[in-house]
Amino acid sequence: MTATDHEQDTDRSTPSRRPRRVRGAIASVISVFGELLITAGLILGLFVVYSLWWTNVLADRASHKQSDEVRKHWASSAPKGPGKLDTKDGIGFLHVPAMKNGEVLVKQGTEDTILNEGVAGYYTKPVKSELPQDKKGNFTLAAHRDGHGAKFHNIDKLKDGDPIVFETKDTWYIYKVYATLPQTSKYNVDVLDAVPKESGKRKAGRYITLTTCTPVYTSDYRYIVWGELERTEKVDADRTPPPEIR
Amino acid sequence: MYGWIWRHLPGNTWVKALISLVLVLAVVFVLFQYVFPWAEPLLPFNDVTVDQGMAAVR
Repeated sequence: MTATDHEQDTDRSTPSRRPRRVRGAIASVISVFGELLITAGLILGLFVVYSLWWTNVLADRASHKQSDEVRKHWASSAPKGPGKLDTKDGIGFLHVPAMKNGEVLVKQGTEDTILNEGVAGYYTKPVKSELPQDKKGNFTLAAHRDGHGAKFHNIDKLKDGDPIVFETKDTWYIYKVYATLPQTSKYNVDVLDAVPKESGKRKAGRYITLTTCTPVYTSDYRYIVWGELERTEKVDADRTPPPEIR
Repeated sequence: MYGWIWRHLPGNTWVKALISLVLVLAVVFVLFQYVFPWAEPLLPFNDVTVDQGMAAVR
C-alpha cells in the first residue's frame, strides 16, 4: 500500500465510520457465501470421485471375496450329477471377452444392495428370469455401467456374433449375441420376456439378456443385448475354458 | 468462515496446518462413509434395471 492510499483511507474513515462497518458486514456475508459455494463445488467434485472410483474399489473387493468363496465351494463339493445351483452365494460366472472385464459373478436379484457389490444379478422381478439350465426361456441379467464395479461398462462394445459365456459348477453355456438395443425406455420390461419380441425372435428358445443403463454416467435409458444359446460344454476336471474365452 | 476457523485453531502456523489437515480428512471420511452412500440412491445416475416404475408396482 502506498503512502497516498493510506492517507486517502484515513481521510475517508474519520467522517464515515458507520457506513464502513456496514460495508464490512456485507463484505463478510458475501465472503461466507462465496466460501460456501466453493465448499459445495468441492463436495460435488468429491462425489464424482466417490461414484466413479471409490465405489469400484469397494465393489471389486466385495466381488473378489464372494467369487473366491463360490470357487472354493465348487471345488470342495463332490462332483456328482448335474448338481443343484447354489443361488445364495451366486450361481456362476459371466465371461464376455468383448467387454474385457474378466469374469463377473452372477447372483440372484437386481436390488441395489446386490448389484452394488460388483456383481451381475438375474431378475426376480418384474419378470422372473429363467436360468441357463432351463429347457426354454430368457436368462436376464443387470449390472452397473459406472461405479460399483462397472461390470457392464463396455456393453456397447458387444457386436452381433460375439460370445457370452456363462460358467456354472459343471457346465459352460456359450451364447452368441444376435441383437442389441442401444437405447430403450427404462419401463420397457418386454425386453425381459421369455421370447423377447423386440430382438426379432418369435419362437421359444434359450436366450440371454443383458441390461444396463445408458448413456454412460447417467441412467436416462437402458441398453439391451440379446444372445442365444449356441451350445453347452461339460466342465472338465481342469475347468478348461471353451475356445471362445481362451 | 474458513478464516474464522483458522483464527480459532490453537498453536502456531504448523500446528494449525496440521489440525486443518486432520479436519479436512475427517470431513472427507464422513462424506465417503455416510453422506454419499446415503445420497447416491436418491440421485438418478445409476439405475440399471428395467422395471415398471416402483410406484406402479407397489
